[in-house]
Amino acid sequence: MTLVNLTGIQAGDFSLLADDHSPEEGAAVAVPLSRLTDEGDDFFKVAGPVGAVLTTDTNHADLAPLMNKLAFVVVDFPAFGDGRGFSLAVRLRKDLGFKGEIRATGPVIPDQALFLLRAGFDTVEVADERAEAFKAALKRFDSFYQTDYTGQVSLAHARHKATEERKAS
Amino acid sequence: MYAYDKYDHALVNARVEEFRDQVNRRVKGELTEEEFRPLRLMNGLYLQLHAYMLRVAVPYGTLNGTQMRKLAHIARKYDKGYGHFTTRQNIQYNWPKLSETPDILQELADVEMHAIQTSGNCIRNVTTDQFAGATADEVADPRPYAELIRQWSTFHPEFSFLPRKFKIAITGADIDRAAVKWHDIGLVVKKNDAGEIGFEVLVGGGMGRTPVIAKTIRDFLPEKDLLSYLEAILRVYNEQGRRDNKYKARIKILVDALGADEYARQTEEEWQKIKDQPIDFPAEEAARIKAYFAPPPLQVLSDDVPAVDELAKKNFLFAAWLQNNTNQHKVPGHVNVTISLKPHGGIPGDATAEQMDLVAALADEYSQGELRISHEQNLILPHVAKKDLPAIWTDLDEAGLGIPNAGLLTDIIACPGLDYCSLANARSIPLAQQLGKRFDDFKRLQDIGPLKIKISGCINSCGHHHAGHIGILGVDRKGEENYQLLLGGSGAEDASKAAILGPGFDENGIIDAVEKVVAVYLGEREEGEEFLATYRRVGPQVFKEAVYDAR
Repeated sequence: MTLVNLTGIQAGDFSLLADDHSPEEGAAVAVPLSRLTDEGDDFFKVAGPVGAVLTTDTNHADLAPLMNKLAFVVVDFPAFGDGRGFSLAVRLRKDLGFKGEIRATGPVIPDQALFLLRAGFDTVEVADERAEAFKAALKRFDSFYQTDYTGQVSLAHARHKATEERKAS
Repeated sequence: MYAYDKYDHALVNARVEEFRDQVNRRVKGELTEEEFRPLRLMNGLYLQLHAYMLRVAVPYGTLNGTQMRKLAHIARKYDKGYGHFTTRQNIQYNWPKLSETPDILQELADVEMHAIQTSGNCIRNVTTDQFAGATADEVADPRPYAELIRQWSTFHPEFSFLPRKFKIAITGADIDRAAVKWHDIGLVVKKNDAGEIGFEVLVGGGMGRTPVIAKTIRDFLPEKDLLSYLEAILRVYNEQGRRDNKYKARIKILVDALGADEYARQTEEEWQKIKDQPIDFPAEEAARIKAYFAPPPLQVLSDDVPAVDELAKKNFLFAAWLQNNTNQHKVPGHVNVTISLKPHGGIPGDATAEQMDLVAALADEYSQGELRISHEQNLILPHVAKKDLPAIWTDLDEAGLGIPNAGLLTDIIACPGLDYCSLANARSIPLAQQLGKRFDDFKRLQDIGPLKIKISGCINSCGHHHAGHIGILGVDRKGEENYQLLLGGSGAEDASKAAILGPGFDENGIIDAVEKVVAVYLGEREEGEEFLATYRRVGPQVFKEAVYDAR
């Protein structure tokens, strides 16, 4: 697998912790959300940077109590068409104010690269042979009709930027 | 009408290049058909029974003469010389070569058209009243809002992989010609007591195997909040809509499961969180887009045109056409002309390249260069001076387009059916053709009056049979085509679901059954009463007896 960096974030170097293992002291690990919820604070005391692995049907409200403890989040797509993953990233950025890395895993396709970036993802783990296609897809479009969470404002606003700036001054 | 700026051009051109790359990868074998499928679908390219089919968007059914000529050119150069106008106000080409589709899209981009999001589980082409901006019974022209929604929904980063396809319809008129209550979201432009523009918002309408009429979740949404409120509706749906069963994945199923009140509550809760973010269009952008839809500078003329009356007295077909195929424009002395694509014995919605060229020329000469496509699969010349009607009708009639049946029994909506579609159980087009032949008498049609027949070749109901005054549904019964008869549906402001009358029929039997239904209506109707009103008054029993007892 290759990690494609969408935003230029310092990507986390972590491993997936097996179900029946305890974290080594100080290790960077990704674990299913359910385990973090069950084990609570004890888990965070032992491990180093901890990330939650989320299924796309995760209710964002369940993440709220963990927001100041998670270093990163992994959204695992079961299929590329499961668009709940996009809303989950939007929720993390918008409702929960999450600033850490959001990574996509699973069978997402290169043509989704810009959608992932614009929904709030930083990185995506892809099959080696698809990495170039992902990178190429990032360059396809350079203006957008929606305001998004990368700081990109919608064309509806951009078209009138000069007017808005005049008003503000 | 709207004209692209440099940003719109850049986006559509970039999309063409992206698709060209995808097709090249497919042709070279770098993409399997399975991998290519979702990519081509996002660009309106289907694989049908015999060939690829390309669905081109006509945003909210509005186009100009130049664009129509381009559609004709594409039909001639890349297809078999014709195209099919659909209930989604789009056009479909049935025989394009895969390798040529990128060139088709480039030709479309050159005239500010595209095939973006005409398929796939995303927000589809927004549809509206075919007389928008040209009808007297209108609060405001809905097309600026349709364009704002088109832009907002194009390549939406969050809502491009929904549980299922998503259709938004908007009307600004009292008479609902856009079937807004049958859409995932229906919007009705309204004015409040202070004279401000806003929208009634309905959710959860849809046809398919579970027909549902949309429910109102907000009586008046201020204009400036449109996009953030849509975003809230879509977020609730994207997160909670079912993804385990494609037949239960539309928003109507979620609205039904939660209840409309709960759906409204969750939408409101979500909307409160986002309504002040820069999601909505700024006022300057609304003004910019509205300026493109400013009413054309029509002179006020007399509605009394002796030359028109004289031709109507001499020629029964012109008189019928005048009555059925024109409707009053908001400017006196003007009308909107419906060009029927329903010749008796023909294929509903089909037009040849020559016919498209003629209609484009008529638009340039008589209708401010503007054209519309109706969800009933007809073409519209808006803003026509009444005095020009004899000349227009003569030209149309020579090209086989002067059929005076708009709104009458033979103005049939039919899906492509088993002649083209891989989902169909039965043929639809031949039924429409048979009905056209059986009722090929304009005096008789005129006497029967307004009657909408809608035919679907399978339960997915692309032919809107649930909303037909008379609906016909093709099913497969032990390997044979069988047709169910439904009565009493409506797609208008008085929306209702048609009900199955009884056991189904074979191809000949269903035509006879329609004739019997019409005979019952003619016997039961009161002075001036239309078919649907009679059916609603007398109920199904008398129709049932006539249709089944004689068997």
